[in-house]
Amino acid sequence: MEALVTQIQGLSGTASDVLSLQNLLKQADDSLHAESTRLPPFLDQLDPSKHSLGYLYFLEACTAGPVTQEQASSFLLTIARFISSCVAEQIRLAPDKFICVCKRFKDQVLLLEEPLRGVAPMLTAIRKLQLSSEHLTALHPEFLLLCLLSKCYKTALSILEEDIFEVDQPRDLFLFCYYGGMISIGQKQFRKALELLHNVVTAPMSTVNAIAVEAFKKYILVSLIHHGQFPTNLPKYASSGAQRNLKNLCQPYVELASSYSNGKIADLETYVEANKDKFESDNNLGLVKQAVSSMYKRNIQRLTQTYLTLSLQDIANRVQLNSPKEAEMHVLQMIKDGEIYATINQKDGMVRFLEDPEQYKTCEMIERIDSSIQRLMTVSKKLNVMDELMSCDPLYLAKAGRERQRFDFDDFDNVPQRYNI
Amino acid sequence: MASSSSSGLTFKLHPLVIVNISDHYTRVKSQMNPPPLTSTSTTVNGVEPLQQAPRVYGCVIGVQRGRTVEIFNSFELLYDPSTHSLDRPFLEKKQELYKKVFPHFYILGWYSTGSDAQESDMHIHKALMDINESPLYVLLNPTINPAQKDLPVTIYESELHVIDGIPQLIFVRSSYTIETVEAERISVDHVAHLKPSDGGSAATQLAAHLTGIHSAIKMLNSRIRVLHHYLVGMQKGDVPCENSLLRQVSSLLRRLPAIESEKFQDDFLMEYNDTLLITYLAMFTNCSSTMNELVDKFNTAYDRHSRRGGRTAFI
Repeated sequence: MEALVTQIQGLSGTASDVLSLQNLLKQADDSLHAESTRLPPFLDQLDPSKHSLGYLYFLEACTAGPVTQEQASSFLLTIARFISSCVAEQIRLAPDKFICVCKRFKDQVLLLEEPLRGVAPMLTAIRKLQLSSEHLTALHPEFLLLCLLSKCYKTALSILEEDIFEVDQPRDLFLFCYYGGMISIGQKQFRKALELLHNVVTAPMSTVNAIAVEAFKKYILVSLIHHGQFPTNLPKYASSGAQRNLKNLCQPYVELASSYSNGKIADLETYVEANKDKFESDNNLGLVKQAVSSMYKRNIQRLTQTYLTLSLQDIANRVQLNSPKEAEMHVLQMIKDGEIYATINQKDGMVRFLEDPEQYKTCEMIERIDSSIQRLMTVSKKLNVMDELMSCDPLYLAKAGRERQRFDFDDFDNVPQRYNI
Repeated sequence: MASSSSSGLTFKLHPLVIVNISDHYTRVKSQMNPPPLTSTSTTVNGVEPLQQAPRVYGCVIGVQRGRTVEIFNSFELLYDPSTHSLDRPFLEKKQELYKKVFPHFYILGWYSTGSDAQESDMHIHKALMDINESPLYVLLNPTINPAQKDLPVTIYESELHVIDGIPQLIFVRSSYTIETVEAERISVDHVAHLKPSDGGSAATQLAAHLTGIHSAIKMLNSRIRVLHHYLVGMQKGDVPCENSLLRQVSSLLRRLPAIESEKFQDDFLMEYNDTLLITYLAMFTNCSSTMNELVDKFNTAYDRHSRRGGRTAFI
């Protein structure tokens, strides 16, 4: 054991040394696991910032066995310190061990019921493990879970902003997008939530999984809140399994969506009351209530398409609100949120609906469009690369070839034998 | 034969003359029967066949005001190889005709094609001296040299130099500038853009147009960069300060922006935004179509329950 320690200390200098060290460590892994109880004092001899790889192996072996309550908090400190001071290149040589250690860290944190302690170290861990900002690791969903449980949603937003192009495991993607959707709902960023939940629902899956079912329920509700309608058919890039089965598994929500589209608030509320338990058991009652209140907004928006001016009393009547005062509050809130453009004349209680004042002749608009074009160009390049990869995929070629007609058009005889003109 | 002239005259050449000369040469060359042997054909008796590039001759006419000689037009003349001179009566008849249309134009000299001025040309030159006491000789080099950047046109004057104690007339080179009238600029522009000779579809014409604009902007960019570099060097002190250049740069900078008003800004930004939006839309469509194809391929490859029976025959 001591020999191993000295070897680690010696071979952690250059990149080639580290590679040979990794081979040694792989061979010594079993012996490390066997002696897991004796290992903690050796940890002090190693410096996490210089001997990251060796420290990682030792740490992983230490935490492999069951951990007692007293050891738990000291372990948390050691792991947290390790994560913050380790060297990224050495860590990336043994990613699964690192992920293992971090997952145990998360379990411990949850066991002690202090998820807040785990948020910052987990974020550092992600940044060190990621190969690029477009890479989704197994630690992402763990991090989001900790953020959800500790209710610090803002820290998660930076991770959610990044575009993802590479995924290690599909389960990571499902969990990540599901948790991310929940966090965005918590922050009331419904557009982002819709995007993330949409990803879960339309991700390729050979069989429908539970995460997708839960995500679909929330997806229906969020799309009602944000768009005011729910598209009855999933887009064609959703897997066929999802297209057929998801709706059957989320029956009450689909019916909720159809009664929403009728536009009558009273019907909607009765339906919600009737199925309250089902919604509550899915922990979705809050979202359902938000969906019901968004119905008013939908109706007011529908009014802007028909009328130029309307009195507050009329609005209250049409939207089935109780009083003009409530109508005024709703309209004011919507103007502030930028959902409609209107002016309220308080003297005679008239609301005048206006057009979108954006003239598209400012420099800021130029910058916005320009940045969108740049983003679109990067996406287009990536799409082209993926398209080429897909065209060379043997599975695709096998199936595409099978569908071709056996005889080419040119194989047929030139002389027409009989044509019906 | 070639030193720079000391007559102090400034020459201005119009593009019409150059186009005329090259057109004359091309016509004669293509009408020659049989066509001149090219260098890829087999040699006869180990001797390279002569390049029979024909020489064409003609007269240049224009105006001389003070020290400026402006060459506007030209016409063709026949060369009589037996007498080594140009056809004189024809020249005079042509001169009369041109005088009626362009009363101000005089015969300023003559032109020919070739790579360099030759001794025999001096004959023709002297023959013209009775019409114009100091005629010009415009020489066009018809060989195409892709590396060459300048026009292959040279203007020679004749000067009396004392060589070996004998006063002789020799050709000396003069510098010239190209001068254009509006009408000429439009026509030269038009000729230059006839390059996709098959006309092409709208797409290739648009592409050619945009490539032209792109190269023009690139050239402008590189020249501004050079100026900028120079000014930075001047500021640092690497390059000695030259006030005349600085004045020129400053006058150039003051020419832009040409219009500065609120209404112009509004309209300009709106048009800019419109163009950007159209580009955005085009990119979007492009992206969507790629994505659509990708999704189709993905579905055929990986979806277990795709449509049975395959597609119907495409006939």
